[in-house]
Amino acid sequence: MTNLPDVKRILTETRRYEFADGLRDIQMAILLGITGAVTWLVLQPFWMNILTDWGQKFGRGAAWMGLLVVFVAPLAAWGMVALMNLIRKRWLWRESGIVKPARWVVPRRVTVLSSVILIAGLVLSIAARRAGWVEDAFVLRMFWAATGWSFAYTLVAMGHELGLSRYIWLGGIGGAMSTSLLFLQLTFAQIALVFGLSWGLLLALSGIITLRQSVRIPQVSK
Amino acid sequence: MSADIKDLSNLDRLIHEPSRLAIMAVLSACESADFTYLLNTTGLTKGNLSAHLSKLEFAGYIKIVKRFKGKYPNTLCSCTASGRRAFQAYWKQYSALAQHLQQ
Repeated sequence: MTNLPDVKRILTETRRYEFADGLRDIQMAILLGITGAVTWLVLQPFWMNILTDWGQKFGRGAAWMGLLVVFVAPLAAWGMVALMNLIRKRWLWRESGIVKPARWVVPRRVTVLSSVILIAGLVLSIAARRAGWVEDAFVLRMFWAATGWSFAYTLVAMGHELGLSRYIWLGGIGGAMSTSLLFLQLTFAQIALVFGLSWGLLLALSGIITLRQSVRIPQVSK
Repeated sequence: MSADIKDLSNLDRLIHEPSRLAIMAVLSACESADFTYLLNTTGLTKGNLSAHLSKLEFAGYIKIVKRFKGKYPNTLCSCTASGRRAFQAYWKQYSALAQHLQQ
């Protein structure tokens, strides 16, 4: 090693390593899919009836226990992290080495801007509702659309930062998908389900394809 | 040109060495990396890498933790706060100098 190394390349490759095997995509898919499904479930009349039945049969505590379903998504994401670490240590990263990513994988300015996108979407829809241009349901649909835009922007920014073209594609498709939610005549709960499942499916597909490629090509030679 | 030479002499010599620069670049981009990853990324031999890591550890730029993963030893390296600062200062200085020389 006589010449200076390509520091920029090393920095990018090390940051990208965490996302190179697609397991992060699968983790995000699980998180978003379950969040959408749980939001839909807790807003369903039949779920309320089940909780009422539990309350009558086993006491109020049991009904409150039913609300613990909201913790399913974070628990699944946490479980996926544990599984991801195990798969990487035993299989994927055994030859190429282990890297613990920086605490803030997403740059702060990207996080700030994605929050601004979410808040701006909500504020604009509320303003439009006050002006009488849109109905109440539009504001509720905007909640999921703006969440999708915010997430899509984060993916595009990360794809650009880490040189991962699949995240730019995912962000583009996901952003368009989130926009289409505004035109669906569905309830808040149904939109949540559509949002979670469509983003979940998109990310799971991306994760599985990337994982298959990463198994075929060892990480060392990437 | 004398200012350029002065800038060049101000560069952190410990980090300026190509192998150590590569090591510092890896460690500054993550929370920690193991010996195997550093070996693959830098392309150094085990002995060489070990020697460079020791120098960086002695300077207080990196922290080395040796542990066992099952039966096998595993060396985990991470950048210290002063190491991160030193690398950022070096990289800023080097980039400015390279840009100035290109002009």
